[in-house]
Amino acid sequence: MSGTANSTYAHPEVLVDTSWVAEHLNDPQIRLIEADEDVLLYEIGHIPGAVKLDWHVDVQDKITRDFVDQQGFEQLMSRWGIDNDTTIVLYGDKNNWYACYSYWLFTMYGHKNLRVMNGGRTKWENEKREATKTVPSYAPTSYHAQPADESIRAFRDDVASNLRNPARRLIDVRSPQEYSGELLHMVNYPQEGAQRGGHIPGAKSIPWGTAANTDGTFKSAEELRQIYGSKDITPDKDVVTYCRIGERSAHTWFVLTELLGFPRVRNYDGSWTEWGNVVRAPIEK
Amino acid sequence: MDRQEAIDFLLDHYENPRNFGPLEGSDITMSGGNPGCADMITMHVRFGQDGKAEMVNWEGEGCTISRAAASYVSEMVSGMSAEEIEAMSFEDLIEELGRELVMTRPTCATLALGTLKRGVHEYDMKQKAHHHPEGSHE
Repeated sequence: MSGTANSTYAHPEVLVDTSWVAEHLNDPQIRLIEADEDVLLYEIGHIPGAVKLDWHVDVQDKITRDFVDQQGFEQLMSRWGIDNDTTIVLYGDKNNWYACYSYWLFTMYGHKNLRVMNGGRTKWENEKREATKTVPSYAPTSYHAQPADESIRAFRDDVASNLRNPARRLIDVRSPQEYSGELLHMVNYPQEGAQRGGHIPGAKSIPWGTAANTDGTFKSAEELRQIYGSKDITPDKDVVTYCRIGERSAHTWFVLTELLGFPRVRNYDGSWTEWGNVVRAPIEK
Repeated sequence: MDRQEAIDFLLDHYENPRNFGPLEGSDITMSGGNPGCADMITMHVRFGQDGKAEMVNWEGEGCTISRAAASYVSEMVSGMSAEEIEAMSFEDLIEELGRELVMTRPTCATLALGTLKRGVHEYDMKQKAHHHPEGSHE
């Protein structure tokens, strides 16, 4: 499969560029999924054939603050006409923020053929490529998901018990203002705040967006290695990423795991909205 | 209003913005912004002789929710007095826009109304100062 030009990534096949997608719009083995932070964008216009992943209703269990379970994931894939051999191409707004979050979740349920369209929706739009308002429908499939692979997901107790582990590296991918405790929430997201400001002790501050170029594509492998290596984030470490609810940190998980080939990276999706509210959980400012 | 209806409602305002553009002879022109979303909305109001808003326009750039909300607010406050606009509730606005949708971005959803209320407040203060200048006795 044709990836993007940068072949120095550890797994260059996980990225496809916009021209490759344009050439495969009618390929029945490919399913495009648009996953946006902005809930209106898909309806304004999307890549022909793409289905909409609405994070707030499709893949979250709000009662348990968890993700859709294995059966729910199977039903979702079936609804979109995806079988176990379908190549899924994820794309979205804001540097593929939610596309990478979806990639992480789909990986957890064992889907093998996953891709991200480099540059996401912004690049597709800037290149003035075809868009439609037509919502496609696909014949249901019989999809079999794997039990959730939680080796790529971190939980609070694991984070707490490894605070002094010399091989552990925590990356706080939020803004510097959230990391320092100046802000209790991300700008414009006051509902996703915490009681306390600061960061988990020992965490390095590497905002998620530093991995992306201004056109929404990922930076080169060399640039990425420099960004993370300069903060002592190297492949030999056991890395945990976090943000406020695990979305932005899934983007960094994708960069480290798929583009740089780190073998042990987990996304702590409880993140600061959990840690910052836990009684007696240690923090730094 | 279910989720898809709320999306369609906001989409209609986003794609067919009401009262968009400058306003001649406005009594209020007030701008507000959300740095995180690069939203920048300007609200214009012209009051009639009866003290009610006879024209409410808006201009600006921003995300889908901030623009859709500005369009909706411009319709909603038409015919209201300054006091009525100042008394408007952000919570009610969020409910009318579709709470489940816009609560992911409340600052975008309330930018237009917040900006308008600031403008109306300043206008109201000036009006009161004009009618009751300091030191005057009636």
